[in-house]
Amino acid sequence: MDGSETPIADTVSSVSESIPCRESQIKLLLSLFGEKRCMTVPAIFAYGHTATGKSAVINSILKTCKLPHVLVNCVECYSSRFLYEAVLNGLYTNNGRQKPETPVKCENMNDFVRLFRHTCMDLHLQNETVYIVIDKAERLREMDANILPAFLGLQELADGNVCVILLSEIVWEKFRCGTGFQEPFIVQFPDYNKDELLRILVRSAPEGYSAEFYQMYLSLVLSVFHIVCRNLSELQHLAAINFRKYIEPIKNGEATESDSRKLWKNFEPHLKKALQTVYLREVSSTQWERMLEESDAGKMMTQQGLSSRTHVELPYYSKYLLIAAYLASYNPAKSDKKFFSKHSDKHKKSKVIKKQERTNNHMLGPKPFPLDRLMAVFYAIVEGKVAPTANIFMQITSLVSVHLLSQVAGDDQIDVPKYKCLVSLDFIKSVARTVNFDVVRYLYDFV
Amino acid sequence: KSSTCVTPKIPDRCEPLSSPSNVLEEARTRLHVSAVPDSLPCRETEFEDIFNFVESKILDGTGGCMYISGVPGTGKTATVHEVVRALHRATEQEELPGFKYIEINGMKLTEPRQAYVQMLQQLSNQKATPDHAADLLNKKFTTPGPRKETIVMLADELDLLWTRKQDVMYNIFDWPSHRHARLVVLAVANTMDLPERIMMKRVSSRLGLTRMTFQPYTFKQLQEIVISRMKGLKAFEEDAIQLAARKVAAVSGDARRALDICRRATEIAENLSPSKTKLSLVGMSHVNAALQEMFSSPKVVAMRTASDQEKIFLRAVVAEFQRCGLEEAEFAKIYIQHTALCRIDGLKPPSTTEMARVCARLGSVRLLLVEHGRNDLQMRVRLNVSQDDVLYALKEKSGV
Repeated sequence: MDGSETPIADTVSSVSESIPCRESQIKLLLSLFGEKRCMTVPAIFAYGHTATGKSAVINSILKTCKLPHVLVNCVECYSSRFLYEAVLNGLYTNNGRQKPETPVKCENMNDFVRLFRHTCMDLHLQNETVYIVIDKAERLREMDANILPAFLGLQELADGNVCVILLSEIVWEKFRCGTGFQEPFIVQFPDYNKDELLRILVRSAPEGYSAEFYQMYLSLVLSVFHIVCRNLSELQHLAAINFRKYIEPIKNGEATESDSRKLWKNFEPHLKKALQTVYLREVSSTQWERMLEESDAGKMMTQQGLSSRTHVELPYYSKYLLIAAYLASYNPAKSDKKFFSKHSDKHKKSKVIKKQERTNNHMLGPKPFPLDRLMAVFYAIVEGKVAPTANIFMQITSLVSVHLLSQVAGDDQIDVPKYKCLVSLDFIKSVARTVNFDVVRYLYDFV
Repeated sequence: KSSTCVTPKIPDRCEPLSSPSNVLEEARTRLHVSAVPDSLPCRETEFEDIFNFVESKILDGTGGCMYISGVPGTGKTATVHEVVRALHRATEQEELPGFKYIEINGMKLTEPRQAYVQMLQQLSNQKATPDHAADLLNKKFTTPGPRKETIVMLADELDLLWTRKQDVMYNIFDWPSHRHARLVVLAVANTMDLPERIMMKRVSSRLGLTRMTFQPYTFKQLQEIVISRMKGLKAFEEDAIQLAARKVAAVSGDARRALDICRRATEIAENLSPSKTKLSLVGMSHVNAALQEMFSSPKVVAMRTASDQEKIFLRAVVAEFQRCGLEEAEFAKIYIQHTALCRIDGLKPPSTTEMARVCARLGSVRLLLVEHGRNDLQMRVRLNVSQDDVLYALKEKSGV
């Protein structure tokens, strides 16, 4: 059967059966594509957020209509040569023809256009539109400057019936550069709204449960997650991994399917917890599923989560060095005298008044400090007498190498290098607790 | 063995080129830049100097260099060719010993070191890699041999033979200084101070101090050139030639430009003349039209024919520049100005997407200089024309 012979309405219904809520886009694309032998627009630029069905719609249209096409992803084809060869080789393999004996070699755009024309001749594609779908098209901007203009004008260059479809998540304005090029036809894929999300999600209902029951479950999931997440694939994932917890009371015989209030009571705290843990990928989904089996899930996850792994074992002096670095990064240099010298309580009054108007240093991020200041703060806070041995300086560089500190303006390694402290306040508090040091008392922002 | 290969050849025309049928067509063929006349008017002294220099070297059997400079279109290469032709004529009449003439052009070489290959091929019809060719040439020029002929070499577009080590230039100027080389190098370039500017001391000292500068043509000379080409042909009015010559001399003194304008004027005259048989002379008005075509700025025309929103955008750019006193503005700031201007004109202000398209189009025709579209609202915009030009171009239209 020939895809072009069937009326558009049939194709629309068959495609939108697999991809709901995208009728207008499917209709628009199909009317653009037209019949096989007709010329179509030289280039289509489809954009929309993540998981709005850009690739899915275009792929399934091309598949159902059996149009000759080739799909390339710019992340895979990271250099122009790979891109050209992927398109040319894909033209052979994607269309069910025999593979060429030797893979096509193509170095530049000039060769590509010539070989593309040859390939279309070989495959007898002169009388139908060939579609080249380029996913993640924003990467094209980083390649050679001639690629994007040439692809947009490929119909004219190759003198054949070809349509280039670019898929991207960013708007077309951000592609424009240089002396301009042929503007593509722009198709927008808008976000799904809540009802549409529900309609799509309910299609993946597990067997054994009615659609109404699953829809009830989904509306509960959406009520928690829709505020923070409209990404379809993310929601699909969350719905899939949490369903087992929802039906737990039914399996135990504590409730029935119609007992929605009881199910919700049981389920709500888990969803709230999932928002903080599994959605942020602090625990992996397998861990989450294992934890759902054990009843005290919440207690486990606080210890196992990624963010709670900020606890790092450090040598004794490294801890003090890190604390000193934190203090040097977040305290202004002129306040050092107040905190670290022995007798300087005289100016305290005037400082306190000024405190109202100064900005919070924690809002502005860490500031660089020279090594001298770090060592001065270190000797002020460390207990006992520490010799400035090679070991101490080694520990500073190893803190840099594990990315707890970073060297800024790293042109000079030896002569007074400057550092920045990269750790958070919570982290430094926990480090300071292990050495019984009250950091907050020394921080300018909190005094 | 190299003689077996076929001489490259262009296929013949299907129908022969038609010979000029009327006065203006005849004038046009004569005015063509490629139709070099037998004698170059207004370059007699330069011809004399170069001729004497080369002749004395040939007679003495020594070598030497001469540096010839001048702005484009002042007859440098044509004069050298003329000198060589005259020398050939002299050798035919056995007034001079024989010599061999070779020519390299820096613009025709893919790479400076290809000069060696070209030289070797023209001297001995051999093919070699650049390194090997340099060795062969070196041996040829530095060792005494049974060679009697002097070699005259024209090195055109000398500035393109520049390399970082300047070995090509060095060799070309060093070989003539050898006793057995008998090489005369005529180096041609555009800038007068090229030896001082880009050459190392040891290269420019080998070039020597024999220099010649071709001054730009004055209007009288340009007039004479055109008149000499029009000898025996009544196609131009006297004043028309003078106008073309004066205009060109005021700008560049480029003879090619003057010939081009005269050719274009004949075309305009032919189009405007009442019938094919009764052609009018090329008058002042025709030359003036040709001058307008070739000298007028296309940017003003581009701005006048721009769409309304593009004009408003240009006005917004100028307004923003005047507001902040800088020659560069962010797209976001211009957008604010643009919407304000639209409201004044009673138009619906465009969205940022439409504005970005307007801005990109103006950038692609180089009326503006814009950055890459990826830093959209922070994109900085500059004018590629002066603010006065923008105001002049846009005022005339809106003033009506």
